[in-house]
Amino acid sequence: MDEEYDVIVLGTGLKECILSGLLSVDGLKVLHMDRNDYYGGESTSLNLIQLWKRFRGDDKPPPHLGASRDYNIDMNPKFIMANGNLVRVLIHTDVTKYLYFKAVDGSYVFNKGKVHKVPANDMEALKSPLMGLFEKRRARKFFIYVQNYNESDPKTHEGMDLTRVTTKELIAKYGLDDNTIDFIGHALALHSDDRYLAEPALDTVKRMKLYAESLARFQGGSPYIYPLYGLGELPQAFARLSAVYGGTYMLNKPECKVEFDEEGKVVGVTSEGETAKCKKVVCDPSYLPGKVRKVGRVARAIAIMSHPIPSTDDSHSVQIILPQKQLGRKSDMYLFCCSYTHNVAPKGKFIAFVSTEAETDQPAIELKPGIDLLGPVDEIFFDIYDRYEPVNEPTLDNCFISTSYDATTHFESTVDDVLNMYTLITGKVIDLSVDLSAASAAEE
Amino acid sequence: MPSRRRTLLKVIILGDSGVGKTSLMNQYVNKKFSNQYKATIGADFLTKEVQFEDRLFTLQIWDTAGQERFQSLGVAFYRGADCCVLVYDVNSMKSFDNLNNWREEFLIQASPSDPENFPFVVIGNKIDIDGGNSRVVSEKKARAWCASKGNIPYFETSAKEGLNVEEAFQCIAKNALKSGEEEELYLPDTIDVGNSSQPRATGCEC
Repeated sequence: MDEEYDVIVLGTGLKECILSGLLSVDGLKVLHMDRNDYYGGESTSLNLIQLWKRFRGDDKPPPHLGASRDYNIDMNPKFIMANGNLVRVLIHTDVTKYLYFKAVDGSYVFNKGKVHKVPANDMEALKSPLMGLFEKRRARKFFIYVQNYNESDPKTHEGMDLTRVTTKELIAKYGLDDNTIDFIGHALALHSDDRYLAEPALDTVKRMKLYAESLARFQGGSPYIYPLYGLGELPQAFARLSAVYGGTYMLNKPECKVEFDEEGKVVGVTSEGETAKCKKVVCDPSYLPGKVRKVGRVARAIAIMSHPIPSTDDSHSVQIILPQKQLGRKSDMYLFCCSYTHNVAPKGKFIAFVSTEAETDQPAIELKPGIDLLGPVDEIFFDIYDRYEPVNEPTLDNCFISTSYDATTHFESTVDDVLNMYTLITGKVIDLSVDLSAASAAEE
Repeated sequence: MPSRRRTLLKVIILGDSGVGKTSLMNQYVNKKFSNQYKATIGADFLTKEVQFEDRLFTLQIWDTAGQERFQSLGVAFYRGADCCVLVYDVNSMKSFDNLNNWREEFLIQASPSDPENFPFVVIGNKIDIDGGNSRVVSEKKARAWCASKGNIPYFETSAKEGLNVEEAFQCIAKNALKSGEEEELYLPDTIDVGNSSQPRATGCEC
């Protein structure tokens, strides 16, 4: 330390590592520090020993669970939309060369007490019990409209300005029933509550298009992909990008203290008695708690199992969405399951997560509807944590704080935050319109 | 899922900052040397095709990209390595003394299934400096350490002058191949997400 940097990044969460990579490629001199001795921060993947240490204190994991190193348990479980923003960032930065991905087997939705596959093709759609026959015809017309919709081509708008027409009004035009609306809004557009109904329909239409495009990308059973060895690979991959372009990495730096001048502008970071100077600081909320405010809480269960989730056709990787209305809650609940086929557990083991925006202080009780779908579990852990967003003015103090990760099982909001921060930090906008079709979609 | 026959072998190079890890890679793969020392910038992994007994393999040689300077390599860097190269500077006793730390760090992070027999190769670099007059680690001392750690193969090189570099990497490739063949890695069907500038040859040989 005791050097001068353009930017000091604190915390090696996925957002911070993407930013570190982007800024280093831009030629900025970056120092990246983390208080932990591993990468990932709140978005890391833990091995079994680390998991036990975090949730069970001094206990040791039982030997029958297998080797600790075979586990890569995500602390922020999400799947990657195959056509989504994160894939675009990965391709834009060429970070894909450090990673391996595999398609996710299936996407399911909880409806009237049962788990149903979200149809991945026309055949599945026809057979699906989620809609009656006549409803399917009406829904098909709606899907065709969405598929054909092009924001810059008014002929495709059919006389409706989607920046003004609400989602509810749009759907009413096609005469769809509440059950179908629930399915479309939560299982396809991936909204986590029902506020979207009263908002302009453009966002929902875009989300539905993203879902369809992601589904078509690798023609798997779901629109998602997921990295081998778990999500902890992603921050490490972006950190390597930063290092290759000159970023300096210091893990295991306790108490990184941000220093300010008399005007309240950041001047550096002190750790272990040494101060590194900088013009800007980028960090996750935990490094500048005085400049963030609490905006919610996430409740999560983490389960180790020896079987796939029942009713998912033996899927080794799967998402199940439990829409809020089905549960009588304010926001959706998400089940996320991956397994040894993605190298996140030893042979025969599955890792399942149940996540939602917390509405009580008792995650074990609150998450019960999701946990009940898991079947027998070998071990289960519960977590509840606060979500924060920044309240500082970066133009005044030159501190750029990321927002905490939400409970959703995809990365779109995560990448949006990163891109916004990048623009605030550099004044530039990244062009992510990579030609996805130039990226081979062939399965090996 | 069926295991795949390996055609890609991963080699990682460990050692203190400044011992010449990047220069060794560049000399071996690109026959280049740069006198300008800057803590490694722009080094990533390099690939080289090697042939053994009418079979072609891709050696993927991973540099630390400077992350070793403050002990900040992640577990992903170590995963799946088929051979680990430990590099020290013959003019720096500290870099030789740290070989033990690097070897132990590797065994912890990579957790190879057969740690007693995992293939290491040790390289003592910079034998060219000052005509050998500033040397502080004797060859005898280095060979004794290698012998004590399970007869690790040992080479003395000059990345600058290209001395012994080819020989060292031939040994590295041979050991990586032997290690890679013995382990039937479970590698599920993966999808190709992006245009990698350096394609990974993980497919079957068919």
